[in-house]
Amino acid sequence: MQYRQAPAIAGLPMNEMFETAGNPRPECARVASYLLTMDSRRLLELGARAHLMFQEMGVTFNHYGDAEGTERIFPFDPVPRIIPASVWEPIEAGLIQRVRALNAFLADVYGEGVIFKEGLIPREMVVGSAQFRHAAVGIRPRDDRFVSIAGIDLVRGADGRFLVLEDNLRTPSGVSYVLQNRVVMRRLFPELLRALEVRSVEQYPADLLACLKELAPNPERDPVVAILTPGPYNSAFYEHVFLSQQMGVELVEGRDLICADHKLFMKTIYGLRRVDVLYRRVDDDYLDPVVFRPDSLLGVAGLTAAIRAGNVAVANAIGTGVADDKATFAYTPAMIRFYLNEEPLLPIVETYLLRDPDQREVVLKDLDRYVIKPTGASGGYGVIIGPKASDAELAQARARIMRDPAGYIAQPVVQLSVHPTLMAEGEGAPCLAPRHVDLRPFVLMGARPRVLAGGLTRVALREGSLIVNSSQGGGSKDTWVVEEGCSVA
Amino acid sequence: MLRRIADHLFWAARYLERAQWRARLVDVNYNLLLEVPPRAADPWQPILAITGEIETFGAHYSQADERSAVTFFALEAKNPSSIRSCLETARFNLHSLRHQIPSELWLEVNRLYLESLSWPKDALALPSVPGFFATLRERFYLIGGVIQATMARDGAYDFVEAGTMVECADNVARLLDVKYHYLLPRPEDVGGAVDVRQWMALLRSASCLETFRQIYGNAFRPARVVELLLFNSAVPRSARFCVDRLAAAIRRISSRDGESAPELSPERPVDLLAKSSAAQAMASGLHEFLLNFQRECAALATRMTAAYMTID
Repeated sequence: MQYRQAPAIAGLPMNEMFETAGNPRPECARVASYLLTMDSRRLLELGARAHLMFQEMGVTFNHYGDAEGTERIFPFDPVPRIIPASVWEPIEAGLIQRVRALNAFLADVYGEGVIFKEGLIPREMVVGSAQFRHAAVGIRPRDDRFVSIAGIDLVRGADGRFLVLEDNLRTPSGVSYVLQNRVVMRRLFPELLRALEVRSVEQYPADLLACLKELAPNPERDPVVAILTPGPYNSAFYEHVFLSQQMGVELVEGRDLICADHKLFMKTIYGLRRVDVLYRRVDDDYLDPVVFRPDSLLGVAGLTAAIRAGNVAVANAIGTGVADDKATFAYTPAMIRFYLNEEPLLPIVETYLLRDPDQREVVLKDLDRYVIKPTGASGGYGVIIGPKASDAELAQARARIMRDPAGYIAQPVVQLSVHPTLMAEGEGAPCLAPRHVDLRPFVLMGARPRVLAGGLTRVALREGSLIVNSSQGGGSKDTWVVEEGCSVA
Repeated sequence: MLRRIADHLFWAARYLERAQWRARLVDVNYNLLLEVPPRAADPWQPILAITGEIETFGAHYSQADERSAVTFFALEAKNPSSIRSCLETARFNLHSLRHQIPSELWLEVNRLYLESLSWPKDALALPSVPGFFATLRERFYLIGGVIQATMARDGAYDFVEAGTMVECADNVARLLDVKYHYLLPRPEDVGGAVDVRQWMALLRSASCLETFRQIYGNAFRPARVVELLLFNSAVPRSARFCVDRLAAAIRRISSRDGESAPELSPERPVDLLAKSSAAQAMASGLHEFLLNFQRECAALATRMTAAYMTID
């Protein structure tokens, strides 16, 4: 198997496996030599086998705006991404620190608002956010666990440091791919997995269930947990199915539920059965037609009142989106200092708030050097990448910013690190070539917070592309957190 | 179990059973027509009558020839009961409850569904027809075997069993009704070669031919066929066998409900058969008897749906 890598030049993205062409980093030496000595057709075969396994297991996502054949396989790259334990452990600590601070912030926002009184964050920015939920004011989840499940997107800059790109605190998805990628990799590379002592990811469903049960308002009996899905047409439906299967809990749709007497029930063949904790994968807006969108059929009427009455808990809590708003993001280091009195362990990607005239001026002067993101959106929708945008697109972005400056933030273009990835198409024999990657680790904020070892590595399969979202041509890799001693060949 | 899940299981099973019946019916009729020149102008008309799809067929095709009939029953996406559509519907129903069923079952159904996506859109090349149906038959047996071998005998299994048996009972009644109607009014043919082949084809459609021979030898008298397909409780796919199992599944479901078992009367279709016989049914009019039986089965399915499956 050949590896095609450009010669190292300063300012190029970090290559996570090879320091220079042909020169693997010590922690990747074993995997690199394994791959490079493998017959290229063999690796191609393994890739095809993985594809077939995903298809047969039905590991799919649904693509919005795609009428025909809406079920797709998330493209999978068989080359694993290696993270040595010594790099990983500080990330874990940094992620937990971060979510602790975000939960403190949410308790504050929907409670006393101390951080506003201290003048650290403008109140009107937070309360004016499209993600702020009046209905959540005064609701306090157990131990202020507004966020029980977080997916924090990290990127690795040219200097090799991991930076936080954005937080996903509403209904982060992707964890099922992490677990299923590992199932497939165990079939493809059993000897490598064993030799490298890759940290297991299998514990996640049990940890998630324990974390959810801890939220139960009436812990004297064994709590009944259910997952609320928008249904088979949702892009992450497979994941909802997978998690309910792995946790052994019911997967419910809004029509399976009913609120009575400020309690939540599901409709079973033998009548109504009480639900204590709802892991909802439905957005706030659709959760309760009494309080939010009245036309929603995906939620259940009266849920908010049942939560307020203390008869049911939902995870994540209502209104967490206000903390993963892209404008709020700029303030997260300040939050960590304010609520925890600690220095942030993980740096964030520099973020300019375009609502601020001075920052706006800086950005608008060199718009083509920034990534522009709408504050309320997710999934890569509406993002403009300055260096790749046409003049017309830039002019359009500029006009949009001027019209609604608070609706956008700007970040410098981060040269996402690259990782060797199997390229089967195009001219010539199949080969490994560098492609940009990011990382979404998953944090469970139970009584004992846990981080899933590694997380979802997304890879931009098109050469040079920085967009890794599954909805826009991204794929995934298995992420291996490896013990140091084992990885050297 | 959620009522919606029960509903999905029941219908997934019905559609799988329906697909299986379609495959057998078409396969048997296709083979029958290979050797003897068809007597009727439209040799596929009886099959359309059995499935109750003369009108649906007429909306899309002008003539019931072999090519269009095989296409209609197996491949036609516009026919909601074509094998292709049945697979799609069954798979869709299972998709939303994958966490409730053994993954082997999902894998087999999904695998067959994925294969169906690469079936030709309109016509099968005729030489490949026998192979196509032979493979399908094996695949359906495989799915049935996976259900038996992997599903815990709990509520989920009972709804699958109920769906399968309701559909099977309905199909065997239709098969008998139409075949009987087409076969009987030709007294001059009784005992003739064509007649015997028709009866054999009928039994083969229900996979009962060998059992028939073991019991009755090669004497294909109508009463014996009716006896076997309707009243013999030991023959899989006989009406009696189906409604016995259906009633048992419903009894198991309601007996698990500690509080109040809804009054379902699952025994009514069984009683209808138990209190009659082939001779009696034929004497008083087999067509009426079969219609009555189908009505009882449908009514039971409706009562079961109301008791356990509707969610509003």
